[in-house]
Amino acid sequence: MSYLDNIRNFSIIAHIDHGKSTLADRLIEKTGLVEARDMKEQYLDNMDIERERGITIKLQTTRLQYKAKDGQEYILNLIDTPGHVDFNYEVSRSLAACDGAVLVVDATQGVEAQTLGNVYLALDEDLEILPVLNKMDLDSARPDDARAEIEDIIGLDASEAPEISAKTGMGIDDMLEKLIEVIPPPQGDPDGRLKALIFDSYYDSYKGVIIYTRIFDGRVKRGDTIRMMNTGKNYEVTEVGYCIPGTVPADELKAGEVGYICGSIKQVADARVGDTITLANAPADAPLKGYKKAQSMVYCGIFPAEGEKYENVKDALEKLQVNDAAFNFEPENSAALGYGYRCGFLGLLHMDVITERLAREFDLDVITTLPSVVYKVVMKDGEVLDIQNPSNLPAPALIAHIEEPIVKADIMTPNEYVGSIMTLCQNRRGNMIHMEYLTKTRVQLHYEMPLNEVIYDFFDALKSRTRGYASLDYEFLRYQPAKLVKLDILLNREPIDALSTIVPEEEAMAKGRGICEKLKEIIPRHQFEVPIQAAIGQKIIARETVRAYRKDVLAKCYGGDITRKKKLLEKQKAGKKRMRQFGSVTVPQEAFTEVLKLDDGR
Amino acid sequence: MTADRMNKKRGIYIHMPFCVQKCRYCAFLSFTAEGSPRKEYTDALEKEIKLRAALERDNGTDRPIDTIYIGGGTPSVMDISSMSEMVKTLKRSFDVKPDAEFTLEANPATLGRKDGVMLAKLQAYRFMGINRFSMGVQSMDNDRLHFLGRIHTAENVARDMDIIRRKGFDNVNLDLMFSVPGESGDDALSDLEKILSFKPEHISCYSLQIEEGTAFGRMAESGELTEVPDEEDRDTYHRICRRLRDAGYEHYEISNFARKGDDPDSPSPYRSRHNSLYWNMDEYIGLGLGASGFINGIRYKNTTDLGEYLAALGEGRLPVAEEHKNTAFDNISEAVFSGLRRSEGIRYEDAVRAYMEADDSGGDSTAATDAGAVFWEIFAEAEKEASEYAKRGLLVIDNEGLKLTEQGIDISNSIMSLFV
Repeated sequence: MSYLDNIRNFSIIAHIDHGKSTLADRLIEKTGLVEARDMKEQYLDNMDIERERGITIKLQTTRLQYKAKDGQEYILNLIDTPGHVDFNYEVSRSLAACDGAVLVVDATQGVEAQTLGNVYLALDEDLEILPVLNKMDLDSARPDDARAEIEDIIGLDASEAPEISAKTGMGIDDMLEKLIEVIPPPQGDPDGRLKALIFDSYYDSYKGVIIYTRIFDGRVKRGDTIRMMNTGKNYEVTEVGYCIPGTVPADELKAGEVGYICGSIKQVADARVGDTITLANAPADAPLKGYKKAQSMVYCGIFPAEGEKYENVKDALEKLQVNDAAFNFEPENSAALGYGYRCGFLGLLHMDVITERLAREFDLDVITTLPSVVYKVVMKDGEVLDIQNPSNLPAPALIAHIEEPIVKADIMTPNEYVGSIMTLCQNRRGNMIHMEYLTKTRVQLHYEMPLNEVIYDFFDALKSRTRGYASLDYEFLRYQPAKLVKLDILLNREPIDALSTIVPEEEAMAKGRGICEKLKEIIPRHQFEVPIQAAIGQKIIARETVRAYRKDVLAKCYGGDITRKKKLLEKQKAGKKRMRQFGSVTVPQEAFTEVLKLDDGR
Repeated sequence: MTADRMNKKRGIYIHMPFCVQKCRYCAFLSFTAEGSPRKEYTDALEKEIKLRAALERDNGTDRPIDTIYIGGGTPSVMDISSMSEMVKTLKRSFDVKPDAEFTLEANPATLGRKDGVMLAKLQAYRFMGINRFSMGVQSMDNDRLHFLGRIHTAENVARDMDIIRRKGFDNVNLDLMFSVPGESGDDALSDLEKILSFKPEHISCYSLQIEEGTAFGRMAESGELTEVPDEEDRDTYHRICRRLRDAGYEHYEISNFARKGDDPDSPSPYRSRHNSLYWNMDEYIGLGLGASGFINGIRYKNTTDLGEYLAALGEGRLPVAEEHKNTAFDNISEAVFSGLRRSEGIRYEDAVRAYMEADDSGGDSTAATDAGAVFWEIFAEAEKEASEYAKRGLLVIDNEGLKLTEQGIDISNSIMSLFV
């Protein structure tokens, strides 16, 4: 019997909130490798932002030891997956490192769009799937309905799906037994040529980049020279080991195993997710399939706020990039906001996470501009430009046409919300491809929609119209010509480049009016009237005015309480620091991101 | 102590936190007089007076007192007997200059219902040395007075003023409030005319501010009450300023006006000497609940908790809740923003002197040859915006210093906040 028979490599796949992280915690606790007292809630989600949002962005992987009822000791490698549509590629690579997956379905909610999306990704990697019904401790659990949904929608036999509660620990042992039975052991040749899949990496200031890997064939140890088959770079291995969690050195990693490799690698971009590691002196014939360079879907400008140093922002962005191959940036100069960076993200969540980390981990004060997608601008001379910054859009006279990215959006919803979702999607220029009843009460809507319409507040709008019951999954489909124009915003008759957007021509009027109204709320009164105008080219299409204020005076004398007066003035001054000066107009920094959150009920 | 500090004037502020009833706009620290421990309070005050005086003597920092101001609340609701004892203690404890300005805040209709009582009370105040009254008139319209929650009528004001004058008090301030919800500019000007008919030596005019935690604050929140629009408020303010100038009053501070003396070219003798201490970075000892003081380079504020105040003094300790030793920057910043309230504005020389007075300035004022240069070095960050305000005619910047224009007053906070 081979050592491989006692290894199981698996992922947990679930919709957000369905309890994936809690289950992972429980497994770690059960298998005794982390003392209960060291357990932070949800051990695997170790970034504060992840824990707060209940989502996983950076992967964690953990080696568990489990003594099964058959008396054998098993090594269970739990490979985490990020739980958000922005990170589908990362999910697929994590799954590729596994031989099976535990599908967690919330017994109170049933199957959701993302569950299905992740199941398909798992099927694409040929994984055995073990469905599990979670949250069975709740009174609202409907295991029979959930089982029926798994069978009807996903097509898996759920009759023997373990019923568990990750929260209370109920049913976990049975689940582990079932896991060993259902998920096959890895296969591979420890004496073959090294083929190891990178499914994640992160930067450690002492060890350099730490690569999480699954060895498919061969073995690797300290002192070996490894080669990244797609980027062609060589590194000397300084350490290999297991993630228990954390990093625990080992002599070698061999076929079927999951662990980490360090090699004085300076940034994660040099150890890209999906790349194949081999030995430089005895390379494998071909890399593992499925490598893809991460592509930014959403861009925005990040500028130092008043009083913040450009260098600080640059340092922070560089540090973030070291750990995030999907994040990229380049210098940008805005007439309104000065020197800053144009940053590319996988999606809106990715963008949120990065900007939040800038504030939290680096204590930076930055202004983020409106997110934008990448437009393909086909010029009259035939040249095609990629434009992700509205300010860079060439003059209309030179443009033959513009193409915008279209995504395939799958929305799963209880049937009573179909009407309002259809209205929402229609207003967002969505085009319904088809609709199917998955069960009597659950419907899946398939739309094609401009990405531009999805990135602002579509998800929030969807949630609010369906009381949180609808779920969304989307992926890039194609570029498609569209009638688009650049909408400029002028404050006190001066165009503010950072507020320009690219919008569909037919919506320019409504958008322009909405932005002007919003700015009117956000911009404080000045000592003079501030006209706010929206324009297409030279044509003004909407206008609002911030009335002049006439009074900012404390007439009362507070019996010599100068300190109180001073505090008021200091507060006023501090408030002004959060503002940005454009000529003589002062604009609060949040204006740049708030302005398109047009809660217009669309 | 630097030599400069020796030249400062010094005043005493005493807080009396009791009123007949709380006005509906009032956010000041005050209690309903009836049933409050007024006697215990003045006893405690006497202890505080003695402790402060002893402390100053022990430090060798005691100096003659130029002004005394008893404010509130409504000091005139205090028993004359205990007031008299308290003032005696005050005068025994501090070296009060013979020509000191001694103000009592009084509300109409609180000085005695019967003429005889009021005359006798005023006599008692005179014995105490009080030589200036500040009356919270606020309005001369009975409906509006009622709306504000005041306890007096326009007739009470006329009668009180008559007796005060008969008694020979020749330095009286009347407070006028404008921009009361529902009040027009014309209403305010008509109030002003009635107030002018008493020929007060001093008039304070301020617009009603609706503050959180007051009855008006709650009414504004529920929409029962609508604030007078800023445009209207400022228009009324400037009309009042014009009218008072025409009537021979000097507009010497944002909300304060003093009747001109015999020589119309020199500053009015009726300016509030006490309030001027605040605007000039002079010293004042604050006594009583929640009172603020600024002496020997230290700003302090007493506790605002009445129980704690009484307890502290019962145990023989000062009831100070906050204390802050001013830095050089604190000094110059305060000198600028409080000095800008005066129509004269500030002189670089005085501001820089305030800066040098602080122990951490590391210099002495004699070394400063060009005060303007030093000033703008300290406020280099503010210079650009300040000159923009100057360009717009809101601020005057010259070789001597800065001052707000009458238009600049309207947005004085924005200008002042450049210097904090």
